[in-house]
Amino acid sequence: MSSKRIHAAWFGIHFFLITAVCLAGVFWLIAQGSTILPAICNEYARRGEIVATWCLGKEARGSNPIRRGIATYLHAAGIQAGYTFFAPNVPGHHRLSLELFYDDGRVEYESPRVRSRAAALRLESLLDRLAEERYEPVREALVKRLAFSVWREHPDVKKIRAVFGSVTPPGMTEFEHGKADTFQPMFSFDFSLRDEQKQ
Amino acid sequence: MISLEGWWERSMHFLFPRETDAWLAVLRIGLGLQMVAYALFLRSDWHYLFASSGKGLVGREVGEAITSFDSLLIPKLGWLVALGRSVNLSEETVLSVAWACLLSAGCFLLLGLLCRPAAIVAWFLHLCAAESGGLLAYGADSFMTTALFYLMLSPLPDRYSFDHWVVKTKPKNPQLLGFWRRVLQLQLCFVYFIGGLAKCLGNGWWNGSNLWRSLIRPPFNLVPPDILVRFKYALPALGISICLLEVSYPVFIWMKKTRLVWLVCILAMHAAIGLLMGLYLFALVMIVLNLAAFGVPDTSTSAQTPSMSRDQ
Repeated sequence: MSSKRIHAAWFGIHFFLITAVCLAGVFWLIAQGSTILPAICNEYARRGEIVATWCLGKEARGSNPIRRGIATYLHAAGIQAGYTFFAPNVPGHHRLSLELFYDDGRVEYESPRVRSRAAALRLESLLDRLAEERYEPVREALVKRLAFSVWREHPDVKKIRAVFGSVTPPGMTEFEHGKADTFQPMFSFDFSLRDEQKQ
Repeated sequence: MISLEGWWERSMHFLFPRETDAWLAVLRIGLGLQMVAYALFLRSDWHYLFASSGKGLVGREVGEAITSFDSLLIPKLGWLVALGRSVNLSEETVLSVAWACLLSAGCFLLLGLLCRPAAIVAWFLHLCAAESGGLLAYGADSFMTTALFYLMLSPLPDRYSFDHWVVKTKPKNPQLLGFWRRVLQLQLCFVYFIGGLAKCLGNGWWNGSNLWRSLIRPPFNLVPPDILVRFKYALPALGISICLLEVSYPVFIWMKKTRLVWLVCILAMHAAIGLLMGLYLFALVMIVLNLAAFGVPDTSTSAQTPSMSRDQ
């Protein structure tokens, strides 16, 4: 019987955490105003999100052992993120275009590449995350590393300009009328072998 | 007080039904196949994705730093590299060994050889890779971690495994088998309900535009847009069907009369995601989870083996 109680207790805690993670994700979407719900819901959703994240210990200080313990468990069980894939709407994708400047004045255009399709999905996932506000602090470092991965294959390049932007695909009707993707640059960085300069 | 006891009894009855280990065999074999596919698909890019700065795509340090911000105790490949360094193994060797171990763990799970150690190794190494990859991870990784986490904790080995054939292990506790199947079933109900609810909140799922956008978006654009346009009147109906199918999953998957229909529809949806969008690993893990949770016939009334309290 005690084994049953232990299992039941674990079950309660585990699904309580899953519920909190999922609700935090849904409330976040609503609070962003990206759903069909009226704007009046946004504020309530923001409060709901705070309650849900509080349950996950995320309102505590980073060094708090309970917060760290919960985070470790969530990652170990693979339940650290909600299940709101492609919701509420499918976002546009992002592109990183690298302009390679050679000493002789030549300019070539490249993008970071991987060999397999499975890895390409991961690279795409990385690019989409780069656009998110929460990854702003690591954005330049990541773009620099992506640029460097291309640089290794073109060691005689003098300078690289990395232009990152969002790609908006045409709607179905627009596509039928011949409209193509539109690229909206979001930020760019210039990198040279000796220094990096943010534009 | 009586009603509270009654509620507790009903809850226990629901949480600990008697089950055979057929569903566990499906989960083990399916995840074995998943791990083999995962390792083989990433074979050519493994070092490039997980090498340190200056050698790989972005270097695993960034992903590991982001993970460490959450907690220092989350496993990562950096731990293994540091361990390898202490015995004079290069980073490249450690990464190769990790990849080989992942592949081997997948094969062992597939065969049912050393099931529990294989499940633990697969869970740990996959978690290390997913966390070190950090920003390179996507939905399939979370589901794989969860599935391996449950497999690792479930009462292995099952009767179809090589372990059982060699060692002749005694039958596992049917209530414990039932408990872990319930966990998996409820997890899927959460996944689909939340996914469906979030989709219902977006206008693009009601008019088909989200389906269009997801199918023409690189790298998921396996079907040429010219062909998709021919089905433009079907896309809104398909979008609405996906929303309703997912959000109603926790209700209709439990009813015996509708279970098969919902299961077939969900499996078809994942097969379509895999084939039309190239999300093979994601599709496979979801199909495996659904088959293990609801695809194997419910044996809760037929299993006749000792009760849990006696076995523990």
